[in-house]
Amino acid sequence: MSFLAPLFLLGALAVALPIVLHLARRTARQRTVFSSLLFLRPAPPRLTRRNRIEHRLLLLLRCLVIGLLAFGFARPFFRQNVSETPPAATPQRVVLLLDASASMRRGSLWTQAQDRADRWLRQISPRDQVAVCAFDRDITPLVTFEQWSALPAGDRAAFARSRLTGIAPGWASTALDHALIRAAEWLAGLDEQPAPGLRRRIVLISDLQAGSRLNGLQGYEWPREIDLSIEALDPPATSNASLQLAPEPADAPATPGESTVRIRVHNAPDAQREQIEIAWANASGTRIGTNLALYVPAGQSRVVSLPTPPPSAGADRIVLRGDDEEFDNTLYAAPPEPARVTVLYLGKDDPADPSQPRYFLERAFRETRRQTVQVVVPASPGTEARADTASLVVVTDAPDEAQQEAVRTHLARGMTVLFAPPDPAAVSALARLPGLDGLSAEEGRFANYGLWGEIDFRHPLFAPFADPRFSDFTRIHFWKYRRLDASAIAETRALARFDNGDPALLEIPAGRGRVLALASGWRPADSQLALSTKFVPLLYSILESSGAAQPVPVSYVVGDRVRLSRDPARTGAAVTVTRHDRTGTRVAGTADEFADTLVPGHYTTDPVTDPGRFAVNLDPAESRTTLLPADELERLGAPVARPPARAIEVAARAARLRDAEIEGRQKLWRWIIVATLAILGVETWLAGWTMRRDLTPSEALQ
Amino acid sequence: MTPGPIDPHVLMRIRNLEFRARVVVEGFWSGIHRSPYHGFSVEFTEYRQYSPGDDPRYLDWRVFARSDRYYLKRFEDETNLRCHLIADQSRSMTFGSAGYSKAEYAATLAATFAYFLHLQGDAVGLLAFDEQVRAYLPARHRLAHLRRLILALEEPARGRGTDLVTPLLRVVEMVRRRGLILLISDFLAPLEQLERALLQLGACGHDVVLFHVLDPAELAFSFDEPAMFEDIESGRTLLVDPGAVRGEYTKRLEAHCATLREMCHRLGHDYLQLPTSQPIEFALFDFLHARDRPARRIRRSARL
Repeated sequence: MSFLAPLFLLGALAVALPIVLHLARRTARQRTVFSSLLFLRPAPPRLTRRNRIEHRLLLLLRCLVIGLLAFGFARPFFRQNVSETPPAATPQRVVLLLDASASMRRGSLWTQAQDRADRWLRQISPRDQVAVCAFDRDITPLVTFEQWSALPAGDRAAFARSRLTGIAPGWASTALDHALIRAAEWLAGLDEQPAPGLRRRIVLISDLQAGSRLNGLQGYEWPREIDLSIEALDPPATSNASLQLAPEPADAPATPGESTVRIRVHNAPDAQREQIEIAWANASGTRIGTNLALYVPAGQSRVVSLPTPPPSAGADRIVLRGDDEEFDNTLYAAPPEPARVTVLYLGKDDPADPSQPRYFLERAFRETRRQTVQVVVPASPGTEARADTASLVVVTDAPDEAQQEAVRTHLARGMTVLFAPPDPAAVSALARLPGLDGLSAEEGRFANYGLWGEIDFRHPLFAPFADPRFSDFTRIHFWKYRRLDASAIAETRALARFDNGDPALLEIPAGRGRVLALASGWRPADSQLALSTKFVPLLYSILESSGAAQPVPVSYVVGDRVRLSRDPARTGAAVTVTRHDRTGTRVAGTADEFADTLVPGHYTTDPVTDPGRFAVNLDPAESRTTLLPADELERLGAPVARPPARAIEVAARAARLRDAEIEGRQKLWRWIIVATLAILGVETWLAGWTMRRDLTPSEALQ
Repeated sequence: MTPGPIDPHVLMRIRNLEFRARVVVEGFWSGIHRSPYHGFSVEFTEYRQYSPGDDPRYLDWRVFARSDRYYLKRFEDETNLRCHLIADQSRSMTFGSAGYSKAEYAATLAATFAYFLHLQGDAVGLLAFDEQVRAYLPARHRLAHLRRLILALEEPARGRGTDLVTPLLRVVEMVRRRGLILLISDFLAPLEQLERALLQLGACGHDVVLFHVLDPAELAFSFDEPAMFEDIESGRTLLVDPGAVRGEYTKRLEAHCATLREMCHRLGHDYLQLPTSQPIEFALFDFLHARDRPARRIRRSARL
């Protein structure tokens, strides 16, 4: 016999109650008058006397009632011989995911991972199907289901092991979300309806570092009946600090003679060591210059400016010393190259004349760390080549034949032409270009002065001014303007209008490019625009919207694709990209991207492209080597399978459910309650009879 | 055959209290002749050497004739004893386990003393009390007064409490002349204030004797069954298993009695504990024996 709630059997201890009550019988019924209670204290009767139990049958019945109640509440049942044969091992289809990211280079993690995979492969039964993949930033199949199935059952595990020993952790970051989703979709995509009894699992062997990317799992709906088993490795408890290039402030002026690199040093939250040193080093690892000692508390970051050594020293990397993990202690720092932007100026004015537009244009584009803008005119020698690659064409006079040709060429390339006509004749000259023939103008005059009354701040050109702090253009007075009419040209937009309703800035599409026509230019004779604070931002905004001046990434991380801008003269020629350790990779002539950035280091291109030299570094996220919170994956909805300890709990719960079902069928407690009620009836009768017998005749009469 | 002391059970069957007292006293007189202590008397005669300033009327010329020394002799009237019986009539005195109560025993004892002293020509008074003074009869030597006194003693005990201090202080106020005070009670009340009252009595020159009347059941706590014990005076109840508390009860009662005895010893008073099972003659005998002790003297303390 078994019990569903055996704890209730403890209730049988309550039989002590009737026994005590029977021992303490009738104590309170006697009253004795005494002279004084001065020397007495309350002393309830003690029960140590022998042979004082009376009404033994009553006592027996009462004890029996309590015992039966406890017995009934314990829900007894007879265990039947339910067939409890353990279920046969169900066949399973498994994707084994092995983390091969850079953080796996720490300590013995990779050996641990291979041992774990090896142990796991040994448990595979011949009916199972297994695919093995390594993943970092991408997922790399090592053994596919087809390969697995094609091999004889005895050779499969050995084959998978041989594939595993052939790989090593790379330098890329950990895209855990990508790997899991790919594996899940792989499993789910194999068959529409999974065969009954087929278990589908993803086995993840990883160090589960906090820098693993998990964003993709948010909102991802996992396919049904796929579970995830995590074989978490045991990473060494070490201190780790990492280096990262911090972006320079964009508007920081280039100060020759004083060159620094901004470095962010981060220390892991569980770090034991907080004294960090950083220094420049050359290709052979020799430190150059002085060490910069930093105190970085655990879990915090410091941004420091490290003076750049002279180019002759050959320093090309920054090394960190003071932590336990070496894999992320080198930062390849290429000096940032400012983007070279060319503005083609088509006008006849003197650059030194402060009453002419070119004077202001050249002074508006200062050289910064991010870009160098050069204003060129076609006539000047040595600038022809650059004029061809100009990102912006500025026309401030009536273009002659050659200039019209240049404008047409640039418009055909999809470039932007900024047109500020000094008179309607200039407009007529430009209107000779195909696509602009609907453009006409006449001289307009303001009664006093004009203002930009209506500006389209939704346009990318004016978007930087959309904030109310910058949107006040009313301080710019315009004296003269050309009343432009481009209504005949389709899709012409007036980006700004004067307060009299005439267009002030028109965006006229022309071929693949566009013409931005200013009705009133920035010459002091026309307006105050050149003297206002809006002039320079507006020019940069035009320059950026024309496709030039794209910010060049400071540094690439492993796995990034580097876009190589070739010299137009050499379009189609092959480019060789060489890493600092002299391993070259040839890029096909038509490809304009270099994707083989698998190892951190400096890369140079031959022939020179833009960028001509770039650095590839470890992803900073990879340096976050603390463990992920234990339930992070479950929180993101991943169907994490329970570890074996919890499996025992599940089995115990199943056994309890089975017992409850058997007990529910037998319902022995009902018979016990019936018996209890019967005994209670007998006890009541017996108690009444005994009381009547014990009463004195006078008490009985009352 | 000489009669022995009378068994209190037999004595208490006599309804008439005066007769009871007479039986005791006469039996006592007949027994006293067998006693080795001859010439007992409560009379106190004193010769004192003359000192200048004494009244020469009281000089005993016969002694002067014999010894050629001046001695003063007291008058007979001065040496006559004035005795006050102070009887507890609280309800605790109505408890009795031997067929008669402590109150009956105490009344018999008081009547015996009254009769005995009356026979000796002494004046006897009575003060009956419970939580307050119930009756007061001044000390007189008249037969009718004795009857009234015995009648007052026969009053049933009704008091709901026992206040030992107030009657004694009343005696201090009312009895100006020195005399004998016999306090008959079960003393089942706190004793804290009693000492001060007894001290005042002693300071007034009174000769005080305490008769502590207790029932044998009170002394031995001879109950068997657990029961709800009810206080006869206050009605308070307590669930008590006698077997469990007997030892502690007797210990505390003995401590109470010892405190009382020690208090009397300290103040120079006499203390006699009388279980109601003891013949009353013994009480009388012990009393007289105690009065005759040579070392006995009244202490008068300045602690007032």
